[in-house]
Amino acid sequence: MATKNYPDPILNEKLRDRYYHRDQSNPEFTKEIEKIAGTMAHMCFQCGTCTAGCPSAPRSSYRIREFMRRAVLGLEDEALTDPDLWFCTTCYSCTDRCPRDLAPTDVIMAMRNLAARRDIVPVNFLKTVQAIYSSGHGVPNNDVNRAAREKLGMTRDPPTTSMYPEYIKGIQKILDHYGLKERADRIIKEREG
Amino acid sequence: MREYAFFLGCIAPNRYPGAESASIITSRRLGIELLPLNGASCCPAPGAFGSIDLNIWYAMAARNLVLAEQMERDIALICNGCYKSIYEVNHKLKHNDELRDGVNEVLKEIDMEFKGSIDVWHLAELLYDENIVGVEKIRESVKVPLTGTKIAVHYGCHLMKPKKERHMGSTEAPRWIEELVEALGAEAVEYRNKMQCCGAGGGVRGYDLPHSLDITNEKLQNMIEVGADAVTEVCPFCQLQFDRGQIEIEEKFGIKYDMPVFHYNELLGLAQGMSPSELGLDLHAISTEPFLKKVL
Ligand code: SF4
Ligand code: SF4
Repeated sequence: MATKNYPDPILNEKLRDRYYHRDQSNPEFTKEIEKIAGTMAHMCFQCGTCTAGCPSAPRSSYRIREFMRRAVLGLEDEALTDPDLWFCTTCYSCTDRCPRDLAPTDVIMAMRNLAARRDIVPVNFLKTVQAIYSSGHGVPNNDVNRAAREKLGMTRDPPTTSMYPEYIKGIQKILDHYGLKERADRIIKEREG
Repeated sequence: MREYAFFLGCIAPNRYPGAESASIITSRRLGIELLPLNGASCCPAPGAFGSIDLNIWYAMAARNLVLAEQMERDIALICNGCYKSIYEVNHKLKHNDELRDGVNEVLKEIDMEFKGSIDVWHLAELLYDENIVGVEKIRESVKVPLTGTKIAVHYGCHLMKPKKERHMGSTEAPRWIEELVEALGAEAVEYRNKMQCCGAGGGVRGYDLPHSLDITNEKLQNMIEVGADAVTEVCPFCQLQFDRGQIEIEEKFGIKYDMPVFHYNELLGLAQGMSPSELGLDLHAISTEPFLKKVL
């Protein structure tokens, strides 16, 4: 059978090879993503419904559909090193609208987990970890707020780890179990000196 | 009185304490006692923690759940972010043995065990549930009706989405929080793209503030377009994004809205006759005065 040819010989070569992405593709990546996310990413038929309703799409180059494709093709490096990965607000609109009943949001979360294993994670995420490690709160109490609470007839500290700091040790043990605080400190130091 | 362990989270007690206090006082009038959950922490923030390692997110949320299990009370909370962490982790650990065993392995180090003996509720769903409170009872509790005001409801994301992991029906055009608002005598207005995110979630507020504010800005424009006098929400993180966010929007984009932002329980408090100072409304970044002038 005659093969249709294109003028560009390199493109011809690529098109002849149905797996021309294979040197960048890691099939294990697809499996790992599906396992962490608990969704069958390979069922995605690229309709674009997810991107159409995504609040981050109109104001950046972030395209959730593209990340779904990367999940399916096993394009691990391309997915995990793209700064757009961190533009998902986790609003779950795409997940509620996907006609294949997939969970693109959870695919993003899985990719972020895998990126974090390579120390690819924005500093603001790690600072939340540090705050929780020292106070139990991601957004801790402060003196202005203590005064405001008092004026409202409330206790200066809420009955959380703020009022009962003895509970912080348990939180630190959980985080230390995973070595997360240490990792957060190290990465922040590498980035910010 | 129905008693619940009141899970506070971070932003309500530490930035909008009026929302915390209003929730306790207004609920008591409606037959719900919110008891302190001593030693609770951050839920932890689902965007920050879930993105780094879902397993750590499960373990940290489970610690908070165990505190309520020890009290033998269901949890009630007033923040959608907390709802995602606390509700969803509770659900997952109850239904996935492998996950629960893994979490309990870690909790053993701090002499805790997740048993799966309680449920988790957003206070808004308890208020709407007619077997618990219901719209009628709320209407009857109103002393200062918010007549003549137009209020835009912001549902936020994690209360109802993802719908498969919730129990509140379609997430395209719900009306139940509008019913709660209308019970206070106000008009709940519809606006374009009502179910869109506030822009703060997933760590995006910290990752790229202008990007996050641009989403908020679009929502505010859509609310202004229909003549809303105020926004109401059921999530202190959304509250922060709309309230303090307006100051940041003015700084970064030069646009000024002066749109008052209320947690639903603050509005409920107002309608039940609590004074603005009892509600800590002076702590809001955007003045609530123009709205108060219409109703008081
Ligand atoms: S909406 Fe679902 S099927 Fe369509 S492109 Fe997105 S993930 Fe794929
Ligand atoms: S969950 Fe993330 S990817 Fe999906 S629509 Fe929302 S912001 Fe976009």
